[in-house]
Amino acid sequence: MDAALLQALISGLAVGSAYSLVALGFSVTFTTTKTLNFSHGEFVSAGAFIGMSVLFLAVGKPLTSTSFGGGDPGLAAQAAALIAALAVMGLIGWLLFLVGVRPFARRPGMAWVMSTLGFGVILQSIGLAIWGPKPVVVPSPVGDSVVRVLGVGVRPQEMLMLAVSVLVMLAFDHVMRRTTMGKAMRAVAHNPGVASLMGINVTLVMVGAFVISSALAGLSGFLLAPIAQASLFMGLAVGLKGFSAAMIGGLSNARGCVVGGFLLGVLESFVNLWSAQWREVVIFLLVILVLAFRPNGLFGTRMVEKV
Amino acid sequence: MSISNYLKRTVIASSIVLCAAAGAQDIKLGFNGDLSASPSAQSGKAGVLGIEAAIADINAAGGVLGRKLALVIRDDQSQPPKSIQNMSDLIDNEKVAVVFGPTNSGNALAWKHIPNQKKVISMGMVGSGTDITKPMRPGADNYMFRVSMVDREQVAALVAYAARSGTKKIGLMGETTGYGQGGLKDLEEVAKLHGLTPLATEKFGVGDTDMTSQLNKMKAAGVDTILVWAQGTPTGQLVRSMEKINYFPTMLSSWAADNITFFDAAGKNLAGKPIFMRTIVSPGTPAQKKLFERTASKLAAPSAFPFVIHGYDATLLVAEAMKQAGSTDGAKVREALENLAKPVEGVKKTYAKPFSKTVHEGLVAGDLAFVKWDGDRLVEFSDDVVKALKPEDYKR
Repeated sequence: MDAALLQALISGLAVGSAYSLVALGFSVTFTTTKTLNFSHGEFVSAGAFIGMSVLFLAVGKPLTSTSFGGGDPGLAAQAAALIAALAVMGLIGWLLFLVGVRPFARRPGMAWVMSTLGFGVILQSIGLAIWGPKPVVVPSPVGDSVVRVLGVGVRPQEMLMLAVSVLVMLAFDHVMRRTTMGKAMRAVAHNPGVASLMGINVTLVMVGAFVISSALAGLSGFLLAPIAQASLFMGLAVGLKGFSAAMIGGLSNARGCVVGGFLLGVLESFVNLWSAQWREVVIFLLVILVLAFRPNGLFGTRMVEKV
Repeated sequence: MSISNYLKRTVIASSIVLCAAAGAQDIKLGFNGDLSASPSAQSGKAGVLGIEAAIADINAAGGVLGRKLALVIRDDQSQPPKSIQNMSDLIDNEKVAVVFGPTNSGNALAWKHIPNQKKVISMGMVGSGTDITKPMRPGADNYMFRVSMVDREQVAALVAYAARSGTKKIGLMGETTGYGQGGLKDLEEVAKLHGLTPLATEKFGVGDTDMTSQLNKMKAAGVDTILVWAQGTPTGQLVRSMEKINYFPTMLSSWAADNITFFDAAGKNLAGKPIFMRTIVSPGTPAQKKLFERTASKLAAPSAFPFVIHGYDATLLVAEAMKQAGSTDGAKVREALENLAKPVEGVKKTYAKPFSKTVHEGLVAGDLAFVKWDGDRLVEFSDDVVKALKPEDYKR
């Protein structure tokens, strides 16, 4: 294959893996609670900043620094940063469910759309007050030198993100299809009332879904920061593209979400080879087309609303 | 009239007189620009440091027209509506004689009708958009002045470099924002003046992390000199993408590459790739070094220092114009600025008749320096092409 095409494919997969992870985050809450966290993008940014703060502390800089100045935090600190991003974002997800989703979930209307959006605005404003608007370059745990294969250049962090998004998809797919926990989650999504009568702790499952989804956002932010730089606005674009990926692949299907993400990334990269200014037009036309002809996404299962 | 009423009136009347007297003592100058929200906020902050330093120096030397200068600062958070509101507030309520700023070019374009209608000087010292200082109508009295970088002047110098180097294989790139597209338009027009036809023109998003597809097209077209208009971070991502496909043509970029956001994004090894323009390389003259020492501790990054100088010199020019006009009246100050009799000894240079009815730029292409990063320092860039450049090469 032509080196330029191969480069576009690999670069597209690397960008797409970020969309995949975000799409998975949307999928988790949708498949259990039929609600979405509309500030998932802001959660990605928040995850990046939590990981970054741990790394700053590890290199002996104040939490509110804006540059590592070449300091390398090392693998142990990176692991700590990852755990912190997962744990803190998980907690924030719990909080979001308690104050932003549960009070509205059983009521008519879509109050949870506004409350999740508002929660994101609050997170972003707090972040701006602490760190300001400047993007921060975050050192990668796997180094920054270009790896060259078959004339194609790619950075180790991009490979890592790609691998992680596939692994998370496999794990999630397995849990949802093969374990009791997965069955419980699907039951709650299908009918919370009946699930409750069957002895499933519905609230616990819903809390779990928001915790896992938010922890996934933390993971996305942690992995994306060394590629895109940590910024409080980084989540906005990736959140929208991730949501689009989920719509294309199918919100209710983990494999669909990841394939949708990769598809979107590769498509973007190939459109860039043709004419980059038409990229967003092509992407969102595709989203509209998929929604028109396959409303549940390319891989989604048809949902029948029983009256 | 009862005594208490009489007392009340006396108190009110005397406080009005006191307020008026206090107001008469100080000449108010305003600043309206982003100091907190966008990544450019650090440039706005640096500009304010320069204005404050100049005001301190002028006041220490006795002020202007026997009065002290005072600065009223308004943060527009980079939002056009807020910026417009600030402009009216500064002019109508605060009654400032001059408004400095803004930080973001788009905001100046949003409100440039206001100072022109109210006949109050707007003195830019950060935003570099070419159209800011153009008159509202050809021949109309123009209250927009600037002592800063100007996009068109940078483009004039960069394209002159490309043309003088003898290449015919140029490619243009720009981000898909107002800033990138405006610069791309300037690049296309000036390239045409030199008879250069770009082999490829490519765009990329401001948040993109991989531009290898666009660069592979440049490579396939045989481009050996790329001219880029983008902000600091995407310019950094662009050189990182160049590294991925091991393609390093001569790279001439907007001065956003002097921003610390570019240096951080590109990393130490790749930051040295682009050549760009700057109003100063690094503090060189004794006056520049002195001003740098005064303000360095308050700067977000040393690379923001040119804005301190712009702010400082802009304030000196305004003060001199007020002295010459013998007034703070906008129309008189504008006429004085356009016909400055005495040269003004600034920190960047000595301004001898910098402005005229048609020229409202304090700094032009000839005042700019070719710069690149060397390690974590900015250094002057000089090669045979730069040395061979003549004033007539700067077409605009």
